[in-house]
Amino acid sequence: MDPTCTRWAVALITLLIGPTSRLLPTALADQPAIATHDVDFEDDVIPLLREYCFACHGPDEQTKGIGLHQYAAAQDLLDNRGVSEKVLQAIKFGRMPPAGEPRPTEPQRRMLSAWLESVLQAIDCSGPSDPGRVTIRRLNRNEYNNTIRDLVGIDIRPAEDFPSDDVGEGFDNIADVLSLSPLLLEKYMDAAERIAAQAIVVPHPDGGPRQRREHEALVVEGENKRNLEGDFWMYTSGSVAAHFEFPRAGTYLLRAIAGAQQAGPDLARLEFRLDGTAQKTIDVDAGPDEPQAYDLQLQVEQGQRKFTAAFVNDYYQPDDPDPANRDRNMMVRALEVIGPMDQPDSLPESHRRLIQASPEHAAELAAVAGENLAPFLRRAYRRDVADTEVATYVRLVEMAVEQGASFERGMQVALSAILVSPHFLFRIEQDPPPADPPDVRQLNDYELATRLSYFLWSSLPDDELFELARQGTLHEQGVLRDQVRRMLADDKSAALVENFAGQWLNLRNLDHMTPDPSQFADFDEALRRSMRRETQLLFETIMREDGSVLDFLDARYTFVDGRLAEHYGIPDVQGDEFRKITLDDDRRRGVLTHASVLMLTSNPTRTSPVKRGKWILENILGTPPPDPPPDVPELEQTQQVATQLSLKEQLAQHRDNESCAVCHREMDSFGLALENLDAFGRWRSEDGARQIDPTGELPDGTTISGPVELVELLMSRKPEFLRTLADRLLTYALGRGLEYYDLCALDRIDRELAANEYRFSVLVNEIVNSEPFRFRRGNGEK
Amino acid sequence: MSNTNLYRRTFLRGMGLSLGLPLLDAMAPRTARGGESNPGDTPVRMAFVFVPNGAIMQDWTPAATGSDYELSKTLSALADFQDDITVLTGLAQDNGRAKGDGPGDHARCASTFLTGAHPVKTDGTDIRVGVSVDQVAAAEIGHHTRLPSLELGIERGRNAGNCDSGYSCAYSSNISWKTATTPVAKEVHPRLVFERLFGAEDEADRSRAERDFYRKSILDLVANDAAQLQARLGQSDRRKIDEYFTSVRELEQRILRSEQSAAQARPSFSVPEEVPGELQEHIRLMYDLLVLAFRTDSTRVASFMVGNAGSNRSYRMVGVSEGHHELSHHGNEAEKMASIQKIDQFLADQFAYFLGQLKNTPDGERSLLDNLMILYGSGLGDANRHDHHNLPAVLAGRAAGTLSTGKHIKLEEETPMNNLFLSMLDRVGAEVAEIGDSSGRLSLLDA
Repeated sequence: MDPTCTRWAVALITLLIGPTSRLLPTALADQPAIATHDVDFEDDVIPLLREYCFACHGPDEQTKGIGLHQYAAAQDLLDNRGVSEKVLQAIKFGRMPPAGEPRPTEPQRRMLSAWLESVLQAIDCSGPSDPGRVTIRRLNRNEYNNTIRDLVGIDIRPAEDFPSDDVGEGFDNIADVLSLSPLLLEKYMDAAERIAAQAIVVPHPDGGPRQRREHEALVVEGENKRNLEGDFWMYTSGSVAAHFEFPRAGTYLLRAIAGAQQAGPDLARLEFRLDGTAQKTIDVDAGPDEPQAYDLQLQVEQGQRKFTAAFVNDYYQPDDPDPANRDRNMMVRALEVIGPMDQPDSLPESHRRLIQASPEHAAELAAVAGENLAPFLRRAYRRDVADTEVATYVRLVEMAVEQGASFERGMQVALSAILVSPHFLFRIEQDPPPADPPDVRQLNDYELATRLSYFLWSSLPDDELFELARQGTLHEQGVLRDQVRRMLADDKSAALVENFAGQWLNLRNLDHMTPDPSQFADFDEALRRSMRRETQLLFETIMREDGSVLDFLDARYTFVDGRLAEHYGIPDVQGDEFRKITLDDDRRRGVLTHASVLMLTSNPTRTSPVKRGKWILENILGTPPPDPPPDVPELEQTQQVATQLSLKEQLAQHRDNESCAVCHREMDSFGLALENLDAFGRWRSEDGARQIDPTGELPDGTTISGPVELVELLMSRKPEFLRTLADRLLTYALGRGLEYYDLCALDRIDRELAANEYRFSVLVNEIVNSEPFRFRRGNGEK
Repeated sequence: MSNTNLYRRTFLRGMGLSLGLPLLDAMAPRTARGGESNPGDTPVRMAFVFVPNGAIMQDWTPAATGSDYELSKTLSALADFQDDITVLTGLAQDNGRAKGDGPGDHARCASTFLTGAHPVKTDGTDIRVGVSVDQVAAAEIGHHTRLPSLELGIERGRNAGNCDSGYSCAYSSNISWKTATTPVAKEVHPRLVFERLFGAEDEADRSRAERDFYRKSILDLVANDAAQLQARLGQSDRRKIDEYFTSVRELEQRILRSEQSAAQARPSFSVPEEVPGELQEHIRLMYDLLVLAFRTDSTRVASFMVGNAGSNRSYRMVGVSEGHHELSHHGNEAEKMASIQKIDQFLADQFAYFLGQLKNTPDGERSLLDNLMILYGSGLGDANRHDHHNLPAVLAGRAAGTLSTGKHIKLEEETPMNNLFLSMLDRVGAEVAEIGDSSGRLSLLDA
């Protein structure tokens, strides 16, 4: 085996992918296919530049201000990195020299490109390095939901109705990609009002909301009659009733609008009943022409209840000498329920959190509003706030009260305003004036607490983190480490599983997969959920138990519930509960063999070795292949005689085509090794009538067969996997794409992982302690 | 409202606020600026419908040109409207081509469709393309209506992974760009579209007035926050705050406009609580909402992404189980091309449904279809070759009699799509000198 073959493939991929390439481990970057350390700038590079570039970018002419003759040593390239990167891109994609001009030979061009790349990627990590700069970050949908939950104390997930956040660098929390359109601001405004209305209970000005039932809405029993106005006349014992909603337990007013025609010794009487149980009997003294309200104040439990007003003392003496004293009748015009009239016994947590004190009299208003708002504002803004900032919100409360609204309504308005403020919606790391300092500075403890909590919890810091930030001790090594441990153990770190693992492994796209029902009739949403849960549980277990991150690749255990066990053909697992099982056959190891990953790398009707191979290159090895060039059909579509050849034979034919072979040899072999696992992740031995041969040949001639050999091969390329994982997690933690200067941080993370049994906590701690995470640079030119 | 306005000013003075100039400008009633069209005229409206993954052009393009032509197989779906439409052949979006940026034609297809500008290839920093034609129109005529523009879609943006070869997903899930750097998010949920147009519930005037009163105060306050922040942040941060500021201003304007006009009664329209599971139902519901928006003059500008660029949806209702994008790399294989043609025709059928609704809706003395114009098409021609020329394009509607319709026009090869946009903008009263890579107007369309 000639080892340079493998390197060729890697180098070519690197050459083609351009800006999307992940930062390779320095060990790899140092030795690309072309032995760049044998290249000498003066002897090998300058002559090429002179021959092919100087005509336009040389001593006589500097088109677009680029003059390559000024580069006397390799260091000059680094000192002018902006220009050098452009030159690299131009050479890499063959844009320069332009068509029609003399061009270097293909090997010369590759040499130049590979050498330039190696120079630009080689970086000195001995001193402090550039920590980069993160743009202010808008809360994305998940962060918004979690932040509202933890800040206000109500879990209503308002962001479900927001437009989706665009994805960049593989994640939806990338500062530069998160834009804010007018539509989104409208949604923020609506959400803020909804949240305020739910979080703060406003006392009702006239006793509470009123529900009224009349006419057809009333149910009658007994011999009763409706008159022209729709009123009910009860001539014998009878009743009217209606159903009312009692939204919560509390004090309500039950009211009948009634009048009576009197006769006999007693006044006409109405009995109020609730759900059939008599509550009180009331004398009705109003005449039928001027009905009055008869009330009963009552403590009522929450629920829908029937309110009945019954005429209970009918009187009929047709022989009475006084015609006006012969007949007692009752008339009911309407039934009403008013309330709840009291503040609930237990105000919601959110209300108590926001309104810890209420003003006794008008003069106190501003002071009390400020007292309530200041601590809330600090948490919402995730920093200390100035008195003047609190004052602007106090003015809103005052304004509402001046308009005649209650204090609570004023607090609702202030809360709505806080929730649409840029200080809340964006995570802002404010550099001290003057703006745009080129200097590097360490984050303050509030900023650090915020980065930490959004990294691990996708939410704002909790009281403990805020307190440590206030004391200014959070950045201390021991404190920080303890906090990371505490945070990973907290339930809120489920957000890291959902948001990081969900995106790194593309799990979230599982929702959009539409497997063909004719191929797999049993597929349903429950199975989709179980598939996703299996992979989440693997991540969660490694995180919570501080396991080795290599388990992602080669775990000999997994998690199944009854549904998934049946799907996998694993006996004796029933029910909805997931349990850990040992994988002792040669069918499955690690995440590559999870049904979730296998399905989301398949087409709706069949497996796609190419997609699976590509997924491995992207997410495990960190070398995403470029798209096929236009007008070259995708691999599986070149064969007109497709039906007679197995998929494997078709792939083999395609690899004979040189322009495809570069990437496909490796990619397809990975995918082919997984062919025993079908498009839904089930084990199979045949595909239709054909026996499956899960063997693939790598560019260096090695063969791999079946999932276990594939996983072993990938384990032998551990450094690439670890680098990919660190790259992905650091990108997620920072919310920006990585740059060349982040290489030092990545190298350090790799070293520490290797020295500490690849433990998950080491990965997280190293990220949290890295320069890009702990420091920031101003916006000025470096 | 005069009392509250007065109060608001007092309130602002009391807070010692100094408002940024743009906001003051925004608060001036737009109608005072002159240049308004005669209110008696029926307004001309415009819409842009994007379908993903190009089309099978041999089944799309009619054989003959001129007014005596027979519709093609795919466009036969539009037979009832042949007199109301113009089929345009030969349009190109040159900036969708790689131009040295390598692969990523699907991302470029969506992002150039309405902009005609070349997107910066990036997965994160410095996302930039150009202002889209609908947003140019919205900026000019949006103040006439409660919503300056409406952006609809069917598929939410992908929420993980790589969308297309090193291009951020912002490029493949948006066609409307408010500025070169801010895509306009689209709404995919019919109920939310309806609520955006007509409110979440029948509100009493009193509660609406109270809410708007507080909203204005809140927006004043946060605009002031933003203005103060603006001065103290770095350059890329300022861009984000700019977006915020623009959005605040737009919401302010919306409140002012709704104060100046009577409340729009909620039309009786049954809108499901959840997004329909059936694609056809979903698409038609979105078309219904567009009709509703135009009929009530809630907006005069709309865009609709029937699918995101590179959409890999299956169309089982027409017997296509494979994914659309996967199929579109068909390698000229007859069976695959036939499948895609079925998809093309299915989508054209839905468009025909839209045209039917528009034609049945009276608007002044004519129908809505007579008074508006809709571009229906894709940013890719033959998806197998990733062509950015010879794009599928149908222009429907008569723009109040200013468009000559009923023809298949074969334009000179490589005619910029943006030339068509200039001609469309003229007709809605948003005349601009140029947009994107436009090189002139399409006078061939004039009636």
